[in-house]
Amino acid sequence: MAANMIKITDMEKIYRTEEVETVALNKLNIEVKNGEFVAVMGPSGCGKSTLLNILGLLDDPDNGSFVFNDIEVAHFNERRRADLRKHNIGFVFQSFNLIDELTVFENVELPLIYTGIKGPERKKRVEAVLDKVQIMHRRNHYPQQLSGGQQQRVAVARAVVNNPKLILADEPTGNLDSSNGNDVMQLLTELNEQGTTIVMVTHSEHDARYSHRIIRMLDGQTVTENILI
Amino acid sequence: MIKNYLLIAWRNLLKNKTFSIINITGLAIGLSCFLLIALYVLDELSFDKFNDKADRIYRINAALRFGGADLNFPLSSDMMGQVLKKDYPQVEDYTRIYNSNGSKLVKKGTEFITEYNVAHADSTLFNIFTLPAIEGDTKTALNEPNSVVITEKTANKYFGTSHAVGKTLETDDNTKTLYKVTAVIKDIPLNSHFNFDFFFSMKNVDYQWGQFTSHNFHTYLLLKKGTDYKAFEKNFDTYVDKYVIPEIKTFTQIKSMAEFKKAGNMLEYSLIPLTEIHLYSNRQYEFLPGGNIQYVYIFSAVAIFILIIACINFMNLTTARSSNRAREVGIRKVLGTVRKDLIKQFLIESVLMVVLSMVIAIGICYLVLPLFNSVADKTMTVRSLLSPIILPLLIGLPFVVGLLAGSYPAFFLSAFKPIEVLKGKLKLGKSGSLRSVLVVVQFTTSIMLIIGTIVIYRQLHYIQTRDIGFNKDQVLIVNNVYTLNNNAVPFKQEILKMAGVKSGTLSGYLPVSSSSRSDNVFSKSPVMDSKNGFDMQNWRIDYDYLQTFGMQLAKGRNFSKEYGSDSGAVIINETAAQILGYKDPIGQKIYRSGDAPGQEISYNIIGVVKNFNYESLKQTVGPLGLFLHSSSGFASFKVNAAYVPEILKHVESTWKAMAPGLPLKYRFLDDSFNEMYTGEQRIGKIILIFSVLAILIACLGLFGLSTFIAEQRTKEIGVRKVLGASVQGIVQLLSKEFMILVAVAFIIATPVAWWGMSKWLTNFVYRINIEWWMFALAGVLALSIALATTSFQAIKAALMNPVKSLRTE
Ligand SMILES: Nc1ncnc2c1ncn2[C@@H]1O[C@H](COP(=O)(O)OP(=O)(O)O)[C@@H](O)[C@H]1O
Ligand SMILES: [Mg+2]
Repeated sequence: MAANMIKITDMEKIYRTEEVETVALNKLNIEVKNGEFVAVMGPSGCGKSTLLNILGLLDDPDNGSFVFNDIEVAHFNERRRADLRKHNIGFVFQSFNLIDELTVFENVELPLIYTGIKGPERKKRVEAVLDKVQIMHRRNHYPQQLSGGQQQRVAVARAVVNNPKLILADEPTGNLDSSNGNDVMQLLTELNEQGTTIVMVTHSEHDARYSHRIIRMLDGQTVTENILI
Repeated sequence: MIKNYLLIAWRNLLKNKTFSIINITGLAIGLSCFLLIALYVLDELSFDKFNDKADRIYRINAALRFGGADLNFPLSSDMMGQVLKKDYPQVEDYTRIYNSNGSKLVKKGTEFITEYNVAHADSTLFNIFTLPAIEGDTKTALNEPNSVVITEKTANKYFGTSHAVGKTLETDDNTKTLYKVTAVIKDIPLNSHFNFDFFFSMKNVDYQWGQFTSHNFHTYLLLKKGTDYKAFEKNFDTYVDKYVIPEIKTFTQIKSMAEFKKAGNMLEYSLIPLTEIHLYSNRQYEFLPGGNIQYVYIFSAVAIFILIIACINFMNLTTARSSNRAREVGIRKVLGTVRKDLIKQFLIESVLMVVLSMVIAIGICYLVLPLFNSVADKTMTVRSLLSPIILPLLIGLPFVVGLLAGSYPAFFLSAFKPIEVLKGKLKLGKSGSLRSVLVVVQFTTSIMLIIGTIVIYRQLHYIQTRDIGFNKDQVLIVNNVYTLNNNAVPFKQEILKMAGVKSGTLSGYLPVSSSSRSDNVFSKSPVMDSKNGFDMQNWRIDYDYLQTFGMQLAKGRNFSKEYGSDSGAVIINETAAQILGYKDPIGQKIYRSGDAPGQEISYNIIGVVKNFNYESLKQTVGPLGLFLHSSSGFASFKVNAAYVPEILKHVESTWKAMAPGLPLKYRFLDDSFNEMYTGEQRIGKIILIFSVLAILIACLGLFGLSTFIAEQRTKEIGVRKVLGASVQGIVQLLSKEFMILVAVAFIIATPVAWWGMSKWLTNFVYRINIEWWMFALAGVLALSIALATTSFQAIKAALMNPVKSLRTE
């Protein structure tokens, strides 16, 4: 296995609306090693989410190279990206993004359905991961019936149920109070210790301290990198 | 203030263009369908009501069963009206119409024109029916022989003016007769069960048949005010005993009505109210093909269904959209708008939309009416929309539908606590299940209509392709050959010389409706009594008849010149053979009633022809005997299609040479055959049109709903895509619910449609079976149409970049 899971070179992403042209990523260069826990920080609008979306193969860059596990994926089409994504990457969002009409169990089960795992195996894996995030007792509840912290733990469970190599978290604690936030950060740390690579966007210096390295961005570029360990 | 509301309402319409267009168009189409059908139904219900005395006019119908043959016709005997008036004070007056020949040649200039709308009538006609005169006095107009009353358009046609009183018309129906025009009446309204252009004096009818036992007159009674016609009908038994039986006794051994009835026979008279003739009486020998009350019911149901579908759509879409407006309501409330104002705003918006739809609907009606008229064979005008039944609907409907559709958002949304709305905690679960019910109702209707269309078209196809016992294709029929007199046979010989003419026959009796018919009482034994006697069609044909029409013999032989004695021979059909009950009927005799008992005429059965359907497939094949006898109503030729143009040319020139000045009329047998089913074909077309429209409306609604739902579920779709859902998976997810609803609709529609169409098919004696594939086809059709409609939005939603839908603002 390559040492670098992610290698981004000279990446550009420009949003064009009717009048405005926004340079969201400006010749950005980033590397993330296998097993690393990286925090991305920077002021609002500097391109953090854009970066995460591209890392997550949800969006394609306008220019530059993106090597994921030694494969150049920048030019991948939608289908290949989706395929790569569902086997390798898990997402955690600031606003949880759970599906209201589905129970906790069903929400967590979704990624397994989409990767074609059979029923009994799904049940085993969903229950295991719900146990891990300590939400097993709420498995038949609907998202609205849970607190924010609980919802985010479900979201984390959903992100990891497929055993992804990479977890992308966009301000996972942004909507949580500090105690719930710490629980989620604890969870992410544990996952990282078990070998999952994590890239997390955050505004909180406190949360950033859980990571190995902080990448600071401004206007679509990296400005500094702090190595914490 | 109201202007302000309207202005805001208008702006809202423009703001949601797609939605408004779908919504207004759908409703407008639905409303116009409803209006068109309403016009049609009202027109059907209006028949004969223009007669001032309509509620007191009744026609006598007769039902006769004699030896297993059932006859049911709108005819009565020569004297019946007259003696009823004499015997019963309840009968204020009576009149008879006689059009036994069907058509007359009328001379215009030097040419004769074939006129079909001709009848002889008693002078009392105008006392009973409201047929106002333009010129002349209708009270006395038909008192004298050789007088005729014509309609305005006929006067214009023959004389170039409506002032035709005193002028003379020459007619030719075997003999030439001169008639003096004694009155000109207004054209008879189209919603009348008869549509004559000429009323000739009844005094010119030389009627030589039985005065009480032969039925050839349409007799109408005008009953005195307050007479119960059902009670009056009971007098008919007395009438039969007093007049009919004595006459029957003169030529049969039948002694009393009781004996006649005991042998399973029947002779019954009944009255039908004038205003019911068009829709309820579909007997043989009606003047015009009638309507059918069944269709009035079916169409009314369709009209109401389409209206409901359209209204449901409208409510559905308005409601669906309103939940997107929850935010707007929240903000408005925070800003201090009071609930009452919100309610008003929503209601005004929805009423405005319905009013717009109604205006468009009336426009559509105006544009489509000529087309609809030609399909439905009517002459309705948009003006009829101003009828006292429809006008209130036009005005009232927008308010009812508008208020109903607007009330949900108006009362439901305006009652929200603004904080909850703004927090997005609003759940519209309940209205979601209501919407599902509504979609099911729409598709149930659509599927029923599709099944109906399929069954009707299959039956029509079956009629076209069924083995009817003769070959209706490529038979050329020349009408009115009797006018050639002695030239009829030479005419036939001349045409037969042509290449491509395979055979030809002279006979007035054709195996399609609207040709000559005559029936007589026949008997298995010389003693003609109620047991042996039976009523049978007796047709006069020549040697080449069977061959020309391609009829098959089951037993025995055809008429042949090799047998000198064939004038005393008869070929019967299988039904007659069955009634006779001989193991081998060939060589047996049947007897026809003569002028008196003991004078019966005997015939030798020489052949049995396989049953052929000589009436429409709605009727069973009755007993028929074919006799070798000259009859020159029509000349029919079996022709080779490739030669038709030359043959027609030759027919024309031969006709001109043999009958100068007489009009040549010809047609093809299959056209006459198809004419028997124009009613059904028309219904097929109309149902087809309305099922297409019903589906169109339902689809518009579905499209609106799927747009709305896809919009509501953007976030969910985004999440699912992030988690690895494929485009196909998303499309399935979004379409699945609708498909389930359509499936439920299918399950409901199937038994109802099966029941309804089975009932319709009972109109036909010869009919198809309803088969499973007809339902399957309708289901698949509805499903694919629904799928196509919903998947458009679903695919659009599925292709959307999830990054966009998940961006937190
Ligand atoms: N879909 C989009 N269309 C147009 N502009 C966008 C879009 N997404 C992001 N942007 C712009 O790109 C820039 C970077 O956005 P984003 O990556 O969301 O910033 P961050 O997450 O760091 O706050 C911002 O200026 C934002 O307005
Ligand atoms: Mg962001």
